[in-house]
Amino acid sequence: MTGPLLKLEKLEVVYHRVITAVQGISLEVPQGSVVVLLGNNGAGKTTTLRAISGFIGLDDARVTEGTITYRDERMENQPPHKVTARGITLVPERSKVFENLTVAENIEAVVPRPGADARKLSGAVWDYFPALARLRAREAGYLSGGERQMLAIGSALACAPELLLVDELSQGLAPLIVEELLHRLQVIRKDLGMTLLLVEQNAAVALDVADYAYVLENGRIVLDGTPEKLRQHQDIKEFYLGTGSGTRKSYRDVKQYRRSRRWYG
Amino acid sequence: MSGYFRTRYERDFALVDTRTQKVWLAIFGIVLLALPLLAGPFLLDLANQVLLVSIGAIALMLLTGYAGQISLGHAGLLAAGAFTTGILAKEFGAPFWVTLPASAVVGAAIGLLFGLPSLRLRGLYLAVSTLALHFIVIHAGQEYETRRGLSSGVVVDPPSLAGWSLQDPRAWYFVLLAGSVATVLFSLNLLRSKTGRAWRAIHGREAVAEALGINVHWAKLSAFVVSCTITSIAGCLFAYYRGFVSAEAFSLFLTIQYVATVIIGGIGSILGALLGTVFVVLFPYAIEALMNALGLADRMASMIFAVNYAAFGLAMILFLVAEPQGLVGIWRRVQAWFLLWPFKQKPVGK
Repeated sequence: MTGPLLKLEKLEVVYHRVITAVQGISLEVPQGSVVVLLGNNGAGKTTTLRAISGFIGLDDARVTEGTITYRDERMENQPPHKVTARGITLVPERSKVFENLTVAENIEAVVPRPGADARKLSGAVWDYFPALARLRAREAGYLSGGERQMLAIGSALACAPELLLVDELSQGLAPLIVEELLHRLQVIRKDLGMTLLLVEQNAAVALDVADYAYVLENGRIVLDGTPEKLRQHQDIKEFYLGTGSGTRKSYRDVKQYRRSRRWYG
Repeated sequence: MSGYFRTRYERDFALVDTRTQKVWLAIFGIVLLALPLLAGPFLLDLANQVLLVSIGAIALMLLTGYAGQISLGHAGLLAAGAFTTGILAKEFGAPFWVTLPASAVVGAAIGLLFGLPSLRLRGLYLAVSTLALHFIVIHAGQEYETRRGLSSGVVVDPPSLAGWSLQDPRAWYFVLLAGSVATVLFSLNLLRSKTGRAWRAIHGREAVAEALGINVHWAKLSAFVVSCTITSIAGCLFAYYRGFVSAEAFSLFLTIQYVATVIIGGIGSILGALLGTVFVVLFPYAIEALMNALGLADRMASMIFAVNYAAFGLAMILFLVAEPQGLVGIWRRVQAWFLLWPFKQKPVGK
């Protein structure tokens, strides 16, 4: 492999053949790094993740332009289970566990990447999440939000991914649990040598763990850089961290041309 | 108080967990084996019916209760197995050892064909597409009957196993018991395998199953093929047990009875399928006995079928409203009550 682990070039995704959700995104995820996609609701973050993992096919959407390159191989519009078999696993945003199965069965139900040591992996899940090990016999439908998120990450780990895509880790969780989970993910990433691509709305948390971040708005990347650089950026402070001028604002309140000038110019 | 702890992760997936369970299972096994020696002909026929229906009910439970795919074609599948057996025996004089695998192959082929719509359709739409299966098979069976001039059905001679003709209800009991036990063991083990977990996973959340590397198309098709194969085998046994095959025996009501078995027993449980079978098979007899006891039987003799249907429908509604977990839910509560005695506590989860 010569290039980055994952590379998107001018990716365009169209829903129901009419609605363009992602308009020419290009980004790179180097091996072993943590890359974060930031952006407000409807910016196209989730769609980008679903395009990579092949999920958009289920929502009647397609990659119409551009390329997704993983380990120097093209992989647009592949079915999800094939993408998982190649080493990319998605932890979806909402509904992410099998509620009718017990915790242990949830972990056993996954199909690991060919060549991976399934026994060792499911064992590792219990080591990384001792809280889950105590709940092994519990039906997943009875788990709390944080426990579900742990289980979802555990199931994804059991797939033996090289690239883990996590959609909105912080959604609906207490800030303390989010920090704990992110810390755990960092440890796992280092131990297993994984690469992470996270989608987050919570910029403060995301920039803490990221090696590199992209900011999406209206299906386009408007800004990218290291966390240090982004934290200093006036717009990020104002619209994403809420530490700018004191009053909270949305970028939507600001006229498009002013921001464009400031960002591109 | 009973307190016990699992010491290894593997124990979570054991079929028989505790010593108490083993003891009860052994006692139950002995009762099952001793039953034909103690029971009269009527009771034995009832037992045989329960065993026969249980095979089909477990097959439907695998498909609907575990894989979450609706099928209204079950009577049609039983008919497919029965007609395959009837036609092969009648036209070619085929023995049991040919008709049984042949029925299985026909069932698997139908399962593959009628599993295909499930890749695109869900819920009610899938139910309607499987209903087509029912009418196609029944129509084909009727066509065969009229063409061959067999207006009263195809007569099937009793099968012979190793030179031993199966006519005695007692002998049938053991054959059907073996069939039923084999189906239970096969299903329980299948459900603990990758395939079974994939079925339950797509029942839970199809999209998540895809995300975790499960081939959803394959899982759905395999569920249809396995369920239809077992049902078709049950149809073959049905043909031999009854001694004749007629399209009229496989009405839409039979399909509804099988669906009722699964619902009344409790979705997502093999034990539920068995409990549901006992309930559904014995229910008409219970209604009849009740009417006799009330002295209504003579006056309402012409309406006995209507009363049966109505009572059956009522029972189903009551179960859906009052006990959505079915008989197995009641069973679990009773079990929990004994486990926790003398403490009063409501069970959580299983």
